[in-house]
Amino acid sequence: MPHIDPDLLALLALGEDAAAEDRAHLASCPECATELQQLTKVVSVTRSGSDLRVLDPPPPGLWSRVAAAAGVDPAPGPATAQVTGPEPGRAGRPDSAAGLAPGPVPVGEPGLPQARTAWWRRRPLLTAAAGLVAGLLIGAGGAAGIHQLTGGPAVHVVASIPLRPLAQFPEWQAARGTAVMADGPHGKQLTVSLRAPRKPGFYEVWLLARNGTSMISLGDLGPGHSGKFTMPPGVDLANYSRIDVSLQPFNGSTLHSRTSVVRGSLPQ
Amino acid sequence: MTAPQHWFSRCCRRWATVGAVGSAADGDIAVAFQKGRSDALSLVYERYAAMVYTVALRSLGAPADAEDVTQQVFVAAWRGRDSFDPARGGLSTWLMAITRNKVVDALRTREREAGRVRAAGASLASRRPGPADGLGQPDQIIDRVVLTDEIVRLGEPQRQIMMLAFYTDLTHEQIAAALRLPLGTVKSHIRRSLQRLRTRLEGDGATH
Repeated sequence: MPHIDPDLLALLALGEDAAAEDRAHLASCPECATELQQLTKVVSVTRSGSDLRVLDPPPPGLWSRVAAAAGVDPAPGPATAQVTGPEPGRAGRPDSAAGLAPGPVPVGEPGLPQARTAWWRRRPLLTAAAGLVAGLLIGAGGAAGIHQLTGGPAVHVVASIPLRPLAQFPEWQAARGTAVMADGPHGKQLTVSLRAPRKPGFYEVWLLARNGTSMISLGDLGPGHSGKFTMPPGVDLANYSRIDVSLQPFNGSTLHSRTSVVRGSLPQ
Repeated sequence: MTAPQHWFSRCCRRWATVGAVGSAADGDIAVAFQKGRSDALSLVYERYAAMVYTVALRSLGAPADAEDVTQQVFVAAWRGRDSFDPARGGLSTWLMAITRNKVVDALRTREREAGRVRAAGASLASRRPGPADGLGQPDQIIDRVVLTDEIVRLGEPQRQIMMLAFYTDLTHEQIAAALRLPLGTVKSHIRRSLQRLRTRLEGDGATH
């Protein structure tokens, strides 16, 4: 009994319609049924992970901490942990079996000219920002339709800022945080995450001015000790250049408690 | 269908540069790692840190926790590199197993801390996310991350074809028309890509 064409099995796994004779064959052929089941699992896992079309890049500073903890030389490290591209050797090889038609779809280009340097230096420096933009071009938008894949403007990461405790607060020396500033469709967005020992109260994020007195509250870090804040329009980030996380007591006061957990500076 | 063609012209050129190749395959990285070459950890980190970090972040919810787990995974991998046997399985599988363990440890620690906090009568504002928030056990997340990693590595136009096949309701005929590729090419790319993804999932996935 001839089995179902493997090309067709793949299309069936994707949910395309089956002809009556194919459905009949599947009902009576365990090999084809098993193959279809395995391919269908790949499709359903992928579709259920539509929020995972691109991997999340780790922050740029993490490699040096990993190298230090592992006791290896941090240099030369990866330029950044990349959302990696096609496997070496695969992109750029024309499909000789089927003969691609010329058109607006380049098959992919080989890498940079082969200089005699470490192999990872020959790779293009795909920064987390570029990877994020490119990934979002593919992954943005809702489920159906090519047009919706283009919807959702790209988000561009501007800076990743480590947040560290201050010497005058010894009780917070174990605290750590990260703030990521990104250009989004509605202006600059700051994503703050904090790891700190548990204490009564809640964490609030502030922008501190250079004079050390003026400050702007961005909001609270919710459960998970992280939050995403849109910068107030018109705020002068050259003046309000420091990000501060405070521990606020539940006393109803909106003033900064004067207890800073971690702080960091925006790049100028 | 002029709008889709126009979009794909722009996106293809961008992806042609973004997706350009390096010259070391995963197998070479695994061999360098096992031999303990001095730059091996940075090679492994460059190749796999995004996978590890994504599993940790999507399981734990907090970037700071995900960074901690990522660091623990790579340190544990480096210290335990003698126990990695390329003949028994890929580096990706091994790293995902370590990641799973570290994530489960972090979730257990969080549960214990949450229990102590609840016992002390602390307010809800200090509660961290856990299994009740839809985050938590990493097996399904590992499966998805493994597939995302493999899809990115399919090369072009396979990756674009599969993104359209997975995430839109276009038929393979419509995909071929949108990308201006022969129908037979699209069908065979779909078949080989799906088989390749199946092989990768069976090798590295957590729910098998």
